[in-house]
Amino acid sequence: MASDPDAALMLAFQNGDERAFRTLFERHGRAMVGFCHHYVKDGARAEELAQDVFLKVHRSAARYQPTARFRTWLYRIAANHCLNELRRGEYGARREAAAREGGSAPVDLDSLPGGAATPEQAAVGEALAGAVRELLARLPEKQRTAFVLCRLEGLSYEEIAEVLETSVSAVKSLLHRATVAAAEALAPWSAPDGKEARQ
Amino acid sequence: MTRHLDQELTALLDGALPPARAREVEQHLAGCASCRAERDRLAHAVQLLAALPPPPAPSPDFSRGFYARLDAEPTARAGVLELLRRARWRNLVPIAGGALTLALVVGALASYRAEQARLARGLDLYQDYELVAGLDAVQDPEDVLVVGHLDELPAGARP
Ligand SMILES: [Zn+2]
Repeated sequence: MASDPDAALMLAFQNGDERAFRTLFERHGRAMVGFCHHYVKDGARAEELAQDVFLKVHRSAARYQPTARFRTWLYRIAANHCLNELRRGEYGARREAAAREGGSAPVDLDSLPGGAATPEQAAVGEALAGAVRELLARLPEKQRTAFVLCRLEGLSYEEIAEVLETSVSAVKSLLHRATVAAAEALAPWSAPDGKEARQ
Repeated sequence: MTRHLDQELTALLDGALPPARAREVEQHLAGCASCRAERDRLAHAVQLLAALPPPPAPSPDFSRGFYARLDAEPTARAGVLELLRRARWRNLVPIAGGALTLALVVGALASYRAEQARLARGLDLYQDYELVAGLDAVQDPEDVLVVGHLDELPAGARP
């Protein structure tokens, strides 16, 4: 994986270049906060989890093998850490309570832009995000991670297989089941372009 | 048209099918209203998810906070080692028996509690066996075992 510039940085860090590690953090730290946010609702907690992930990277750098893409290695550490966090339960309980109170009644919408142009659109985005959080909380761990990595982080099936240390065909099945669950949960919401969804 | 499409619908939407298989799937779709309906249902969800607003940006303190924690690392590592030592020692106490010994231990533990609460946060980071096993801070398999089972220690002994 010589073409992976992050892997090169990681190797430099293994050879004692602390600045290389800092570059990796600057590059991926913020994205990791976003990823962790798919597991915990609280923004401050998501930041703390992302920091934990990079402390783990720092401590276990010696174990990194350049045969793995840095990004997938990073996501694997992050996913394990976030799932441990959920297993500890404290946030699980709070999340469920929040999901119940959120209730996230579908709002009719004409459009659902990435950056909301009006307060109404922002509110719709919020409510949809709540419905997705509720959905994620219901998914089994592996489905949830595969789903987050594919639908919310944009990783390919191959990359997800690397993160989960499983086969691409297993990823296919995980993603299909999770997407069916999402279709169920999000059916009442109208499509982003206001038209019937087409491929 | 004997079998309807299943997980290949999702893979098709994600562009994850080999071209030859994608063409076969498309052919099936052209002649099967039920699979088309399912495809549209899945595509609807995929589109909504793609339009989801990104999570809020981290606070300005995020990086500073991280580097502060990073600077504190050697201490945290030493602290975890210390906690490991105590955890092992504690396991021996019931064998030694003696209520007085136990009382002394409990007293000593209470005074360490505040410090342990801080250490425990660092300890959470050592939860992955695989990672723990690779740390030079951990010297033998028993350490890994103790880290993995800290939650099983007597309630009073936990931070
Ligand atoms: Zn069919």
